[in-house]
Amino acid sequence: MHNVVQLHPQALLEQRRNEQTSAIGMMVALGSWGMMFAALFFMYLGLRAHTLAWPPPGLPALPIALPSLNTVVIGCSSVALVRALRSMREGQRRPASLWMLATFVLGLAFVGLQTLLWWTTWQQGLTPSTGTLGTVFYSLTVLHALHVAAGLAVLAYLLGMTLGGRSMAERVTTLRLCGMFWHFVGGVWAFMFVGMFLL
Amino acid sequence: MQGVMTPADIEAAQHLQHIHETPKSFVKHYVFSIDHKYIAKQFLWAGLLFLFFGGMLAMLIRWQWAYPGEAVPVVGNLLFPDTQGAITPPTYNTIFTTHGLIMIFFAITPIMIGCFGNFCIPLMIGARDMAFPWLNLLSFWIFALSQALVLASFCVELGSAAAGWTTYPPLASQVGTPGLGQSLMVLALFVTGVSTIMGAINYITTVIRFRAPGMTWFRMPGTVWGLWLTSILNALFVPVLGSAGLMLLFDRHFGTQFFLTGAAGGTGDPILFQHLFWIFGHPEVYILILPIWGFVIDFMSFFARKPAYWFRGSIYAMITVTVLSAVVYGHHMFVTGMSPLLGQAFMLLTLVISVPAEILFLNWLHTIWKGSIRLTVPMLFGLGTIFVFGLGGLTGIYLGTISTDLYLHDTMFVVGHFHLTMASAAFLGSFGALYLWFPKMYGRLMNPFLGKVHFWFSTVGLTLVFGFQMLAGYAGQQRRLYDPFQYSYLEGLQDLNRFTTYCAFALAIGQLAFVYNFFYSLFAGKRASQNPWELGTIEWTDCASPPVHHNFDRIPVVYRGPHEYNHPEVLEKLGRDWIGQTEEFDPAADAATSDEVAATA
Repeated sequence: MHNVVQLHPQALLEQRRNEQTSAIGMMVALGSWGMMFAALFFMYLGLRAHTLAWPPPGLPALPIALPSLNTVVIGCSSVALVRALRSMREGQRRPASLWMLATFVLGLAFVGLQTLLWWTTWQQGLTPSTGTLGTVFYSLTVLHALHVAAGLAVLAYLLGMTLGGRSMAERVTTLRLCGMFWHFVGGVWAFMFVGMFLL
Repeated sequence: MQGVMTPADIEAAQHLQHIHETPKSFVKHYVFSIDHKYIAKQFLWAGLLFLFFGGMLAMLIRWQWAYPGEAVPVVGNLLFPDTQGAITPPTYNTIFTTHGLIMIFFAITPIMIGCFGNFCIPLMIGARDMAFPWLNLLSFWIFALSQALVLASFCVELGSAAAGWTTYPPLASQVGTPGLGQSLMVLALFVTGVSTIMGAINYITTVIRFRAPGMTWFRMPGTVWGLWLTSILNALFVPVLGSAGLMLLFDRHFGTQFFLTGAAGGTGDPILFQHLFWIFGHPEVYILILPIWGFVIDFMSFFARKPAYWFRGSIYAMITVTVLSAVVYGHHMFVTGMSPLLGQAFMLLTLVISVPAEILFLNWLHTIWKGSIRLTVPMLFGLGTIFVFGLGGLTGIYLGTISTDLYLHDTMFVVGHFHLTMASAAFLGSFGALYLWFPKMYGRLMNPFLGKVHFWFSTVGLTLVFGFQMLAGYAGQQRRLYDPFQYSYLEGLQDLNRFTTYCAFALAIGQLAFVYNFFYSLFAGKRASQNPWELGTIEWTDCASPPVHHNFDRIPVVYRGPHEYNHPEVLEKLGRDWIGQTEEFDPAADAATSDEVAATA
């Protein structure tokens, strides 16, 4: 079903320019967000550098299997979102919706697996107040998961709009911005995975 | 703006920014406005209100240092009924803590960045509004929420924040300040940070995307440059404070141990908070001065009726400072305990900043050298800014040098120094800007005589108060002492402190001249013409006073820089000493300039 909206050249130019403007704004915003996470990482590295052994004696090591699986999940969701944006640009409603749905489900799976991860570590006796390990582990992962959840909310809204038959040309910018945010959040997870679980 | 400035491009630029319709309903016009000019005014009022609040807190501190523990006159019984008007030590802690936080985050920032950033940027680059008007609206209302949180923090048990404006743990942990007020204040900082970042996103994007045709980077006024560079620092470093505040809140309420150690119960590290705080904190002092430098570059040229001397040099100097500001924060931590090698590196980088600052200074002086100076109120405030910033900047060298800082650290010398640089300079610069742009904002002129009274009270007052504070600090008076004179070695400083307090009261009384002038002019001031100062920047040449809702019916085309004063050819042909940035003058020459535009774009 091709329903490319034929825009007037002037309107098309305007839309492109607005999209670029929004993308610049989003980049600045992500720069800010990046600094926020960088400060959290700084804290993590600082605390870890002060401890002779990591994990600190008496605390369980963080699991590795679940986070690895989650890295794959969030990576796939990013790929799916790239495909969704491409389909939307081409005006293909069905593939766009399906890829967005895939992104959403994978994102939801990520949050679910994170919850499982927290449950597992909590069972092992690791709470936010058990030393610096619990402190950084829960703070960083929970803050990150909240960002994923925020991305999911925007995705759900866009999915509803697309399925509801709204003009897709208007949503391309929003999806692109949502995508930038989503890839950023995935990137932060990659850092966390390497820095906190692998090393 | 890209490529050759052909008529077609100029035509295209007209369509790329929508003309917002003037809102009809009261709420959309006056409460939830998306108009950058109106949001600027909202920030102005919110900021002035808290400036008054913070100023009154300062007066209480001054009273305490002149007459420690004695009942505060006039308002004492009202404020502190339990103690018959005397300030108790815990109350005193709250007062100096909230004075600092309110002034920096809830008074200077909204006035200087929120108000003038919003008002000047679109008008001076020839845009119809900000890039994201809705984000702008949100930015103000989130800021209003943060102010509400500040007020709420005063109303809870144990009062507002009391851990010093730097909010260092363990003092800022639940052990040091158990009251909810401390948490509310940290939350307010986080919320205001969100608002600041939203503003920064808007300012940065607007300047990149919405400059009028022909408005190249170096044709932007210094004001826009200063605000733009400040926004970059805001976008990058306010989130670091946000992160630190968030972790502090986690420590206070969710049982984490980021900063808790020893008696506070945990294995965290409070020193890391100092790092995070100053990674933000040092850029913050440049956040508060870069817009002022921008104003001063413009004011010197505007009112000396001369082109700004080596304008590009000034801009490069500001860019250099912006970059360097990110790598000098360690000079706040010389006595915290740091590797001496690292300390040396931070000292060197800190002192290097004086080079670009010196370039700016010399450029300002060169600009007014042999100029036809008009001592208008904004010009006076600009000159006052240079004076107090010079004093503060020179004394900063002693604090940036480790050997002298070890002695001066945590004394009143530090307090005097940073009040001269980031408080007095920001104060005078912002008021200069308000006197300059008031006619454009409200369409009425302010009374110049009262403006000058305000200027002399402010400049002399600020210089004396903070000069004497430095003197007291040099003599060994520690900052933040509830009663400095209980230490015998400081007893001799009581008279100095009292005299400083009288100066501070005079400074406060002088502000009444502004208050009267502001309200009187708002309602009954003389109507302002479109260009009362005879300036060439776009907001004066292309907009009515006050501008229409969408600023420009047609997006203007820019032909030259912002500081074209006393150009011999203009004098000869037009018979006036200024020419607008958007004024077509010599078609042949203008064509050549537009080729230049094409070459630089």
